[in-house]
Amino acid sequence: MSKSVSEPASEYRLHPMPFLGGYDQVFSGLSLREAVGLAIVSIALPRGNPAGPALEKAFGTALPEVGKSANAANDKYRLLRLGSEQVFVLFEHATADAESEIAALIGGAAYTTDQTDSWVALSVQGARVRAVLARICPLDLHGGVFAIGNVARTSMEHLGTIILRTDEDQFLLLSASSSAQSFLHALETSIRYTA
Amino acid sequence: MSQPHRINGGLTDRTQALHFTFNGKAMQGYAGDTLASALLANGQRLVGRSFKYHRPRGIFSAGSEEPNALVELRRDAHCEPNTRATVAELFDGLEARSQNHRGSLEFDLMAATDLLSPFLSAGFYYKTFMWPKAFWEKFYEPIIRASAGLGRLSGQSDPDFYDKGFLHCDLLVIGAGPAGLAAALAAGRSGARVVLADEDFVLGGRLNAETMQIGGQMGSAWAAAAGGELAAMGNVRLMPRTTVYGAYDHGIFGALERRTDHLADTTGAPRQILWRVYARRSILAAGATERPIAFANNDRPGVMLAGAVRTYANRFGVTPGRRVAVFTNNDDGWRTATDLAGKGVEITAIIDTRKIRPLASIPGVVIMTGAHVTGTAGRKGIKAITLNTGQRIPADCLAVSGGWNPNVHLTCHQRGRPVWDNDISAFVPGGDLPPGMTVAGAANGTLTLAAALKEGHATANAALKSLGFTPSRSQAPVAEDEPRTLEAFWHVRAGRGRAWLDFQNDVTVKDVKLAHQEGFRSVEHLKRYTTLGMATDQGRTANIPALAIMAECTGKTIAETGTTIFRPPYTPVPIGALAGRARGKDFRPYRLTPSHKWASENGATFVETGNWLRAQWFARPGEKGWRDSVDREVRMTRASVGICDVTTLGKIDIQGRDAAEFLNRIYANGFAKLAVGKVRYGLMLREDGIAYDDGTTAHLAENHYVMTTTTANAVLVFRRLEFARQCLWPDLDVHLISATDGWAQFAVAGPNARALLAKLVDAPFDISNEAFPFMACASLSVCGGTPARLFRISFSGELAYEIAVPARFGDAMIRALMAAGKEFDAIPYGTEALGVMRIEKGHAAGNELNGQTTALNLGLGRMVSKKKDCIGNVLSERAELNRPDAVRLVGFKPVDRAESLAAGAHFINRGDPADMDHDQGWMSSVAFSPMLGHSIGLGFISRGHERMGEIVRAVDPIRKREVEVEITSPHFFDPEGERLRV
Amino acid sequence: MIINHPLLGPRDAAEFVYLGDASLIDRPDWQDPLAAEKFHDYLYLRDNPVGNHRELWYHEQGDRSWLVVTRNTLTHEIIKVELATDVARKRGRSR
Repeated sequence: MSKSVSEPASEYRLHPMPFLGGYDQVFSGLSLREAVGLAIVSIALPRGNPAGPALEKAFGTALPEVGKSANAANDKYRLLRLGSEQVFVLFEHATADAESEIAALIGGAAYTTDQTDSWVALSVQGARVRAVLARICPLDLHGGVFAIGNVARTSMEHLGTIILRTDEDQFLLLSASSSAQSFLHALETSIRYTA
Repeated sequence: MSQPHRINGGLTDRTQALHFTFNGKAMQGYAGDTLASALLANGQRLVGRSFKYHRPRGIFSAGSEEPNALVELRRDAHCEPNTRATVAELFDGLEARSQNHRGSLEFDLMAATDLLSPFLSAGFYYKTFMWPKAFWEKFYEPIIRASAGLGRLSGQSDPDFYDKGFLHCDLLVIGAGPAGLAAALAAGRSGARVVLADEDFVLGGRLNAETMQIGGQMGSAWAAAAGGELAAMGNVRLMPRTTVYGAYDHGIFGALERRTDHLADTTGAPRQILWRVYARRSILAAGATERPIAFANNDRPGVMLAGAVRTYANRFGVTPGRRVAVFTNNDDGWRTATDLAGKGVEITAIIDTRKIRPLASIPGVVIMTGAHVTGTAGRKGIKAITLNTGQRIPADCLAVSGGWNPNVHLTCHQRGRPVWDNDISAFVPGGDLPPGMTVAGAANGTLTLAAALKEGHATANAALKSLGFTPSRSQAPVAEDEPRTLEAFWHVRAGRGRAWLDFQNDVTVKDVKLAHQEGFRSVEHLKRYTTLGMATDQGRTANIPALAIMAECTGKTIAETGTTIFRPPYTPVPIGALAGRARGKDFRPYRLTPSHKWASENGATFVETGNWLRAQWFARPGEKGWRDSVDREVRMTRASVGICDVTTLGKIDIQGRDAAEFLNRIYANGFAKLAVGKVRYGLMLREDGIAYDDGTTAHLAENHYVMTTTTANAVLVFRRLEFARQCLWPDLDVHLISATDGWAQFAVAGPNARALLAKLVDAPFDISNEAFPFMACASLSVCGGTPARLFRISFSGELAYEIAVPARFGDAMIRALMAAGKEFDAIPYGTEALGVMRIEKGHAAGNELNGQTTALNLGLGRMVSKKKDCIGNVLSERAELNRPDAVRLVGFKPVDRAESLAAGAHFINRGDPADMDHDQGWMSSVAFSPMLGHSIGLGFISRGHERMGEIVRAVDPIRKREVEVEITSPHFFDPEGERLRV
Repeated sequence: MIINHPLLGPRDAAEFVYLGDASLIDRPDWQDPLAAEKFHDYLYLRDNPVGNHRELWYHEQGDRSWLVVTRNTLTHEIIKVELATDVARKRGRSR
């Protein structure tokens, strides 16, 4: 049975819209930018069937400990270990097929799910970034406690958030894409209140 | 604008004059003043009226323990009542008003209450207003309500902003007096992360109020230098104007930082910040609070704590009186006399209750030991005092000292009980402190300067060592200990008139005696019977003298009598600060569907469902009300095609070798044999056999499923799946991740649904009925390459699909669907039309899965498999849940089709009384069916499935309605389900 | 309160959701001849001790792990924190 085609489907080609429209603002001593084009693929490690060696081979690096991140040997992928069985892979990738790339890379050693569209990603950077985040983030972000490369999942203003320290004064924040506006509002309010 | 009581010296900045008003009268003070010190400088002794008897009252203290000087600050919406003038920092343009009086402060009409005092003694609530009974509601209560309460709220929305925050430190030092500063210096120098918080706006505590020296420097100068050193340390956070108000579990503290209360312009920045402080160790160095001695008419303006009188003179350069007398039972009281005399203030008398050799001699001063003050004269401010000898001595200020109580409050917040220390006649912290807390200085009963400094230093070093830090080599600051002997003395027996204990709640010595006489003798009963210590100051100056008097009455020691303990907050915390940002629209975050922007451009009315904003209906021009829109959306969907954003349904991605087995145990019906490419409806039970949630689960690929849950239960279902996976079957290989936000999902429903989607689905995917039948699913692509998932499922009963694309394409997808659907008159529909269509089809939703109904009740009893283990299976078989007369989900039509139905109505058989004994069930969902042209309802009624065609009454006693209804099949529209399989 | 997560370190209890007695791990066998009675006891009978209590907490705003927290109900002191999966396995649960 052939499908009834009256017009080619490509006539309705879909264009992606970033959750915050590609937000990018500079404040005094601080910048806040939506990380557009950042792909996120989750890897679930099978039970009773260690995937570690296969993943280490695929990424050229050992899986980081829970709460830490690591760069793949080719520096393209950043691995965030969020739980004993869960790793997020972050990488620049514009099209909506990030999951198949990782699935192919690890060759069935673990389960993959595309999480790119589940999250809005905001990069916040500047000298007063810790003071800004202290208004909404319950975690201790002191460098001696939460070092560069550390990652944690917590709650900010009632919104589940993954926080990754990418540099001394720079953090990447991932929060649910459906509440992206509220999350941005929380950050903007913190920036205004600490000005 | 003169300040008649301003004297030389002090820490205020005389180059910065500040203008303010009190009750409209223009006054002047200096930078560094509190409102209280500025009022005293201007000679304003009367500042308020007492709560119960409207007695004239004046400033009593110089700190947060103030019971009397509660005032309103600022105006209009910014007006804040019940602010203690003693801690309100003066700024230019401050408006302050006294409160708790009708008419002027000087001539309070309510002062007549004082004449009724014989009838208003302790416990009067329990004894009066009892008769006649009918008077309570109409007469007594309105009068009491009108008279009661402290200040008045503006009645307007609070225009200020508040924020919250989180702080982490190795050591939290609470209080920046000598002990706190010594502790912070020791800790800061060792490199530890230190937070030093103090409620005052200047660091130093009593050092600023005294004339003692540290290391050859004036105490206040040493404190300023120490503050400077600490401020320069990167590892120390100084927090003046910050009250640590509560000690919570595991080293968590609540702290309120006042950011703009001392500024004239408060716009923009948050007024206050409520901090949650995580401290590995804490040192309580909160100092001590002086207590008074009770005697007749000791509440008159001008009677003050001796230490406070000294504070005003030494720190603020203000003398509270021109002729000051001192009444003391300890050495410290004498310092008030010597300090003030040193500043040229006339001292008229020093009365010490002890029979001691005078500690000082000041020319012209009456010095009496072993003597008491038995009364005061002067209506709105004292003019003279009377002694037990009958001697009358002129004084416009009487400085009273009964000794000092350590501020043990935070040591009690986890039920620690203070213990009595005979040496200082005061309660000191007991052994059971909050974990990680130590106490130093006056708060620990170490009342002298050198000892407090040493203790602060040593306590910090001990805390640091326990954390693994190496203490710095620095030594404790050097000072001399002052004399501090005391003989406990609580109240003067002689004298006429009431002797006051709790100034804010107007509790007297006589009230305590009455409580004793009437059997309310334990401290807890005393407190509740007399309201002692239950005002906003928590009786900080009142409790100990009162329980000492109770001890006297019972003939026990104070140690045996014990003390009540303190709860957070140490001082009041505004509700606005507790709310923080969570006000109005920011009360909670909101979630938007991917088609939100398009929907708002197209006339959608939104409804909150949980945190989601969903389109409820899409009004078109000419439609007169929501029903017009909803009826049209239903008709047009059933006639051609409608589109609804269903992204909000929970989506859980489930993968693993044991995923099928896992689902089979989670759902009551079988899932082990669901083929790849197929979707199945699933019902989840609670372990007690009650229906929990329902939805569809699609088998996308080998070991890969995606489950949908109801919007409301998405989070809860995920939680319970994780529980099953981790706690019940830890070796099943199954993994969960939420995909709710990842996919924009649209229901496309109606006879033209396939024709519409066929325009968007890429070749070579075939969505014909043969290739893609009812309950099929597939991963495919749409619109020339966008990955998508297609499910042939239907909630509306129509030929229907749900199409999902990655959320970033959601906005584009709704636009493409509407564009492609133009030739079919495709319309968007909202949650109301969705609800109408599901009721027309008899599908259960949240109203039916309400936590009381079983699969049997829902008519799904046969779905529950008896051949496998699944959550809720065993207990669903309990006899009581399977009674023959159990309620069943059926449909209801009004006998008179013009009648409307109401959810919540209960069913009563014809001829039976409408009461609980004859209750047959209830109506759960109702709608007007545009397809049938009348109201329809779903509901549960006993043996419903056997009663088709029977007529019962739907009784709604709350709305006082009753409608006769006919029991029908719940499938009102297309009962054979032919439309969805074509 | 602060819960010292075995993998993540100390976290504010606000990140967690409380369920109740850890005995909820010990779900009875559905084929036991006394299954109905055992499920009844499993679901409805709880100890409510003064003192140490083993209870289930879920790290919802974190790594989504279920924990067994041994907590003194009187002082709130937390004596021990374990991954519920480990506890379940130790108590003989598997597939």
